Amino acid sequence: MHLALPARKSTHPPPYAPRTRRFPMLRRSRVQAIVIGLCVLSAVLFLISHLGGSDGVPSGTPPVVIVTVLDQDNYSKAYIDNIKENRIEYARKHGYTTFFPSNTDYDLAGAPSSWARVPALRHALTKFPHSTFFWFLDQNSLIMNPALTIEGHVMNPIESLMIKDQPIVPPDSVIKTFSHLKAHQVDLVLSQDRDGLAHGSFIVRRGEWSKFFLDTWFDPLYRSYNFQKADAHALEHIVQWHPTILSKLVLIPQRIINAYSPGGPAEESGMYHDGDFVIRFAGCDQGGGRDCIKEADPFSKQWRTVFHSQR
Amino acid sequence: MSLSRSPSPRPGGGWASPGLSSPYGSGSGSLTPQTSYRGNGNSNSVTWESAKAKSEGLNGYPSFSTQNSGFFNRHYRKISSNLPRFNLGSEKSYAEKEKLGRGRWSPRDGSKLARIKSLIRRVGRKMKLRVVIVLALFLMIILFYMTPLHYYWRRSRHLGGGRKYVIILAANQGGGVMEWKGPREWAIERDSVRNKRKYVNRWGYDLEIVDMSTKKRYAHEWRESWEKVDTIRNCMRKFPDAEWFWWMDLNTFIMEPSYSLQTHIFNNLAGNTYRDINEYNPLNITHPFPSDHLDAESLSPVGDGKTESINLIVPQDCSGFNLGSFFVKRSAWTDRLLDVWWDPVGYEQKHMEWEHKEQDALEFLYINQPWIRPHTAFIPQRKINSFPPGACSDNGNDSRIHYNEKDRDFVVNMAGCEWGRDCWGEMYNYRELSNYLNRTWWERFKEDLVAVVWFKITGKKVRL
Repeated sequence: MHLALPARKSTHPPPYAPRTRRFPMLRRSRVQAIVIGLCVLSAVLFLISHLGGSDGVPSGTPPVVIVTVLDQDNYSKAYIDNIKENRIEYARKHGYTTFFPSNTDYDLAGAPSSWARVPALRHALTKFPHSTFFWFLDQNSLIMNPALTIEGHVMNPIESLMIKDQPIVPPDSVIKTFSHLKAHQVDLVLSQDRDGLAHGSFIVRRGEWSKFFLDTWFDPLYRSYNFQKADAHALEHIVQWHPTILSKLVLIPQRIINAYSPGGPAEESGMYHDGDFVIRFAGCDQGGGRDCIKEADPFSKQWRTVFHSQR
Repeated sequence: MSLSRSPSPRPGGGWASPGLSSPYGSGSGSLTPQTSYRGNGNSNSVTWESAKAKSEGLNGYPSFSTQNSGFFNRHYRKISSNLPRFNLGSEKSYAEKEKLGRGRWSPRDGSKLARIKSLIRRVGRKMKLRVVIVLALFLMIILFYMTPLHYYWRRSRHLGGGRKYVIILAANQGGGVMEWKGPREWAIERDSVRNKRKYVNRWGYDLEIVDMSTKKRYAHEWRESWEKVDTIRNCMRKFPDAEWFWWMDLNTFIMEPSYSLQTHIFNNLAGNTYRDINEYNPLNITHPFPSDHLDAESLSPVGDGKTESINLIVPQDCSGFNLGSFFVKRSAWTDRLLDVWWDPVGYEQKHMEWEHKEQDALEFLYINQPWIRPHTAFIPQRKINSFPPGACSDNGNDSRIHYNEKDRDFVVNMAGCEWGRDCWGEMYNYRELSNYLNRTWWERFKEDLVAVVWFKITGKKVRL
C-alpha cells in the first residue's frame, strides 16, 4: 500500500525557506543564551536569598540580652538603679542589651512572684527576636568582671566547661546530665548550688526549643502545685521528668556565672572570689538576718571602680 | 509433464525429472490429467522438442491466441492481489509461477501463524503503529495492576510516597484483663484489622497493630491510657522512613478504601485543615492565646500559616478534641509534645477531673501552653472521623459530625459504642454498607440490572 510516486512539489514554492520552528525565539543559538541567562539569574537569586540576608538578622542586633526582673515594691529606688546601671554599663561595653520588666507585669494567677522570671524571658524572646542568647540574672546580683563576655567566657568553651554525668539534684539523683552533648545542641546553661539547680543566673538560646521550655515551665499546674521552692523546684521537676529538656541542658561550674556571696547556699567552690564574673547574694531575701542592700553595698563601689579602671 | 509447472514443493508442482518418472502414471501427484500444449499429452519427459514446441506454442497462433488471453488470465495478477482466496487449485500459468516464487501469497494451506503474518503485512505502517501503541498501553496497564508493581510504585518514597504513612491501630483493648472478651469482641477486632490491612496493602502504607492489653507496667503507675504516647514513640522508632502517623482506635472502619491519604488530605493540607480553632470551637477556648508578651507567631490565630509547620492534626467532635483518629508528624516538636503529654504533677492534680485522660490532657496543654498552638491544625471531623448517629446524639443529626453515605465519608468511628450500644452490630452494618457502596461495575451490572430483570420475569429473587 505504498505510493508509487513521491508527492509532487507545489508549483508555487514559498519565496523564503520555511521556518523550522513555530517560535522564532527558540532558535538554537538563542536557546543557549536563554538557558545560560536563566542559570545565572537563579544563581544570583540563590546567593541573595542565602548570603545577602544572612538569616534576616538586621545589623546592630545585640547578640545577648540580659534579663533582670525587678521588684520595685520591696527595694529602694537607689538599690534598683544601682542594679540597672550595673547591667546597662556591662551591656554597653559589649554591644549587648538589657531588659528590665517588673515582677508585677505578668499574670501569675496567684503564684509566688519569683515565677515572673519565666514569662519575662518569654517576653524578651518576643522583644528581641533576633538575639541569640538570653541571660537571666537575678535582681540581687552584680556583674563584677566586665571584661568577660557571654560568648567568650561561657558559650564558646561550653564543651570544656560542661559537667558530664552529674546528678541534677546534688547528692544522689538518678537523673544525670548527658555525657556526650555537642556545643550546638546546648540550649540551656545552668549551674548548681548546694540545694540543687540554681536558677538565679542561666542562659537560654533562642529557638523553638526555648519557647517550649519556658511554656512548659510556666504550666499552671506547676504554679498551683505548691512546690516548696516554687519555680526552682518546678524547674528541677521538668528537667528530671522530661528528656527533651534534659537533653538540651548543660551544667557548668557555679563560679563561672553564679558565684555566691558569703552566706549563700553554696559549697566552697561556689563562693565568690575577686575576678569572678558575677556575684549573687543568693538567699538574702529569705530572711535569716540578711539584708540584700547592705550585702550589696561594698560590691557596688567595687564594680564601679573595676568598670572604670578597665575603660 | 508440461513446463508450465513452477518449481514448487507443493504436490503437482515442480519440474519433473525424467529419470524418476514412473510407468504407472504421471510424475506429478495430480489425479487429473494435465492439459498440455500441442497435444503431446501425457508425456512425462521434457525433451528438447517438446520444450521448443511449447515455446513456439506461445506464439503459434498469432491471430487469435486462446492461451493467456482470457479475462482471468489477463487480470489474474491484479485480482489475485485483492482476492487471494481466488487463487486456488493447481491450475497454473506463467504469471502464477512468478508470484509463487516470491512467496507473496501462499494460499489455503498456510498455517494460522502465516495467515496472521500476512494480515500484519497487509496493514499499513501507520495503522500498525497505532495498534502497537494501544497494545503496549494495554499491556502496561495489566502489568501495573495485576502484578505487585503498583504496590511498589505507590509505596516508594519518590513515586507514590506510601512509605511516608503509617497507620497505628490500637487492637486488643484491655486484652480481656478487665472485662470478658467474647466472640463479638473478637469479630470486631478481626473485621477492623482486616479493613485496615486491606487499605494499607492497597496504597502501600505501613500498618502497626498495637497490643493495648492492660499491662502491669501501666496499671500500677497511674498511667493507663497514656500508652498512646509510648506507642507512637515506638512506632516512630520502628518506621524510620515514615513521616505521618495515623492513630486509629479499634472501633473505626475505613468506608472508602479508594481514597488515598495523599489525595484525601495531604496533597492539599492547607485546604483540608483549619488552624484557627474559632472556626469550630466546642470547648470555647480563647484563641489566640490571651497573653500580650508572646511572640507574633504564638499570637497569630493560624501560627505561621505554612503547611510545613503542621505537626498535629486533630478532629473535634461535639465535646472537644477527639483522639479516636488523628495524625502526628515526625518532628522535634512532636517529640516534645509526646514528652510532656504525661506529667506526674499534672496527673496528680487532675486525674479525677480528666475523664478522657490523655485527650483531656492534650486539651489542657493546648489551652495553657502557647507553644502548642502554632503547630496544631484541626480537621473537619467528617474528613477522618465521622460518627454514627448514636454518638454525639444530644442535638440530633449534625452535618459536621455524623456519617452521611451520600457524601461517601472516608472513615466511621463508632465512638462510645462500648457504653450501651452494639459495637459489633454497628461494625457489621458499616462493613456491609462499605461493600455495597464500593461494588465493582460488574457487580452493579449483575445486581442492579440482571437480578432485577430476572425478578420481573420470573418473580424469584436471585443472588448472583
